[in-house]
Amino acid sequence: MATAELSVKLQASSGSKVKDFLNANLVNILAGILFLLLAFFLLYPIIAVLIKSFRGPSGFTLQYYKAFFSKNYYYHSLYNTLLLGVINTVVCLVIGFCLAYMTTRGPWVLRKPLKIISLVPLIAPPYLFALSLIILFGRNGLITRMLDLHFELYGFGGVVVSQSLAFIPLAYMMIESTLMSLNPNLEESAYDMGASEATILRTITIPLLAPGLLKAALLIFVMTIAEFGNAAILGGRTPFLAPDTYTMITGESDFNMGSVLSVVLIAPCILIFFIHNYLLEGKKFTTIGGKPVASEPRKITPLIKVPFVIITTVAAGAIFICFAVVFVASFYKILGVTHNVVLSNYLDFTSNQAIYNSIRVSLVAAVIGAVIGVLLAYVIVRGQFFGRTFIEMVSLSGFALPGTVLGIGYLLAFSAPPLKLTGGIMILALNCVFRFLAVGVEAGISKLHQIHIEIEEASADLGASFLTTFIKIVMPIMFPAFIAGFIYTFMTAIVSLSAVVFLVSPGFDLAAVKIFDAAVYGEIGIASATTMKLVLIVAVCMMILNFITKKTRLGNGTAKTVA
Amino acid sequence: MNVGSHEKPMLILKDIHKFYGTNEVLKGVSLEVKEGELVTFVGPSGCGKTTLLRLIGGFTDISSGDIILDGQRINDLPPNLRDTRICFQNYALFPHMTVAENVGYGLKINRWPKEKIAARVKELLEMVELAAFGDRMIDKLSGGQQQRVAFARALSLEPKVLLLDEPLSNLDANLRLVMREEIRKLQERLHITTVFVTHDQFEAMAISDRLVVMKNGLIEQVGTPIEIYERPANEFIASFVGYVNFMEGRVASIDTGTRNATVDTEFGPIEIRLDQEDTRAGEDVLMVIRPESVSLSLDCGTKRSNVICGTLKSYMYAGSLAKCTVTIGQKKMIIDQYNPRDAQRFTNADKVEIEIPRSVHLLKK
Repeated sequence: MATAELSVKLQASSGSKVKDFLNANLVNILAGILFLLLAFFLLYPIIAVLIKSFRGPSGFTLQYYKAFFSKNYYYHSLYNTLLLGVINTVVCLVIGFCLAYMTTRGPWVLRKPLKIISLVPLIAPPYLFALSLIILFGRNGLITRMLDLHFELYGFGGVVVSQSLAFIPLAYMMIESTLMSLNPNLEESAYDMGASEATILRTITIPLLAPGLLKAALLIFVMTIAEFGNAAILGGRTPFLAPDTYTMITGESDFNMGSVLSVVLIAPCILIFFIHNYLLEGKKFTTIGGKPVASEPRKITPLIKVPFVIITTVAAGAIFICFAVVFVASFYKILGVTHNVVLSNYLDFTSNQAIYNSIRVSLVAAVIGAVIGVLLAYVIVRGQFFGRTFIEMVSLSGFALPGTVLGIGYLLAFSAPPLKLTGGIMILALNCVFRFLAVGVEAGISKLHQIHIEIEEASADLGASFLTTFIKIVMPIMFPAFIAGFIYTFMTAIVSLSAVVFLVSPGFDLAAVKIFDAAVYGEIGIASATTMKLVLIVAVCMMILNFITKKTRLGNGTAKTVA
Repeated sequence: MNVGSHEKPMLILKDIHKFYGTNEVLKGVSLEVKEGELVTFVGPSGCGKTTLLRLIGGFTDISSGDIILDGQRINDLPPNLRDTRICFQNYALFPHMTVAENVGYGLKINRWPKEKIAARVKELLEMVELAAFGDRMIDKLSGGQQQRVAFARALSLEPKVLLLDEPLSNLDANLRLVMREEIRKLQERLHITTVFVTHDQFEAMAISDRLVVMKNGLIEQVGTPIEIYERPANEFIASFVGYVNFMEGRVASIDTGTRNATVDTEFGPIEIRLDQEDTRAGEDVLMVIRPESVSLSLDCGTKRSNVICGTLKSYMYAGSLAKCTVTIGQKKMIIDQYNPRDAQRFTNADKVEIEIPRSVHLLKK
């Protein structure tokens, strides 16, 4: 009935020719539009960076690359960046594995609390850890003064520690999901055949998880070498590529050298992205699906238990302390230096203004990002046109792209006609949209994979046109994915720093940039309070997201039994 | 297989309780399994059968009670130190190993010398008729073949008790029948004590020496397939193993010599031969009438005993049998007419008479 009414309405409003054309080609038209958007807002800025790195005042030149490879300083920067990536990846993998192992195989009572602590850094902007390290171990740090230490926090060590803490949740989440996907009966079978805990780990668990672990490692590596905040705040005199790019642009206005640094930074990212996508594709070990049951706790031998418990405790403790320290510091002008508890940090006008700006930008980004994400997911899953995988690849690539690169790219691409966006809120929002598109797209794809195409076919079978099916069937089902994409984009956008730091205009500060500046200039109280505000906002978002996923998961269950 | 009473119990479960939080999933289960016996835990999902199996295997901690394996209390032994081996529903074959490596895994773990492992693996693969498949990867095997590999792997260390957790439920119907026979033959040949878990009551009856029917964490009845089917202990068991028509009545008289009895029902007296000792005259009872035990014919009006007149409501021809629904007043009965090809054909609304057999089992009300 309603369907009939709708098609009548459509017919009345648009005429049947237009409608027929839309019905037949909607997916393709959509794909075309989306591709243009991706090309313009994601590919074009990157290409602009690439071109800039090769174009001097008199046309094509390799002089900037020559400059890069002939200066010791840049070698150092590259070396430090890659070394940081390797160390971080190893540390995060080890800690993430221990945490995930404990929360999936350990005693029941420990699972929930450990999981929460492992995931808590998610609600923090990554530079929270840099900030808390300054508060504790900086030149005026609490512990530095208490123990009268004379060591330098600013440098390689500090960056490694803060980066590692920041990326634990990512490592944990990826490893936990691979551990969960492993049929517990496999390990139990090995156990049953006489294998000890260590033997199970060596012969069953780790070999079977190898592809998943490798994937996690690659992703963490890419994200660490691209991460800007911690290295910029704590790097001191130690050069790293991402902050160097920043100084090159903002300090020396040398866009050519900045572009070269970006290309050097992006090269390993693209390489790894391809490895990730092609080499590992289908390299999952298929296990015959039974009912997915949580692994029951096993008696873990001390040989495994002791190091695992130590690593877990240290990591969890460090995370907890960092949060606590920033929280406390937000009530002092400078913790450890001034002794009055004040609320002025929370009332600071510029900080609140920055938060307000961040919310506005992130909201715009979230709306656009969620819409584009869901549509892209639909086109990728249901479309049957040439270049489908290419669109998928491009839309998921934003994640692997260093934020600094996309920041410079936007600066180069959109500071002059045909599309001049600099100085406005749109450039910030669009930048966030296309950088974080992957999340919304993935949410949409996984949602669509749960919906049998038969549901759409049933709708068509009952006489609905494609357009009607899309509006009446697909959109309502995709709604949770839309909301998830919205909230996810919002939270990621509001804490993101590396790209927007290039794009903010004077007088229009964003919270992340404000924290960065405050931390660099030693305004610890303001930095801490602003961070806490962000933590609060993100925490609320997470709760909403959690609530929605739980709700829709229930919905899926019933839908599946019906199907 | 006839289980002689001289055989010693291989596995003893003593008053086993299992709590998950405050949820008691096993509420005091006691059982003895004799050496070489195949015992099946059967029951609706959530009855605790799989939990019980996992407790025996050592994968789940026991809350209270004792598990005794071949005279030794094994409550606190982890699975790798128990002489039980399990075969999971999803086989849990190691996907990164070949068939031979899977079968030889336990031997390797237990430090068998290489040549002995090779010999034993060969022997096991021959036993499950997969001798040519040793070098295959697991995902290159069919479901039935995977099942055999899992079986061979579980048998590799010659366990005292073999635990099979719904091993056939991932196979298609025909293969299930074949594998069921093979497992049973092998089990009898090796004389290996086996605990089998299934939710399929017919599979359970076909394969077992004894069935353990469970419900809500308790054992409802333990018995041979014949005992369970023909003399169920209660309504739940009667309807769990196959369809059943219940008919209420009261025992009018019992002839103590012949064990013949008359049961008064709303459709008149039914004469039966008692198959149990404890029935008394005057008791309210429920007659367990199996669909295939009732004979059905046209005509209504013969005055023989045990014959009731009814109307045919539906007749569903299904080849080997026809499912007939007959109403007698308010009461509906399902009757299976076997070999309908050579039997009378009915049409709906026919007046029919049904004859209740003298062998019906009585349940106390």
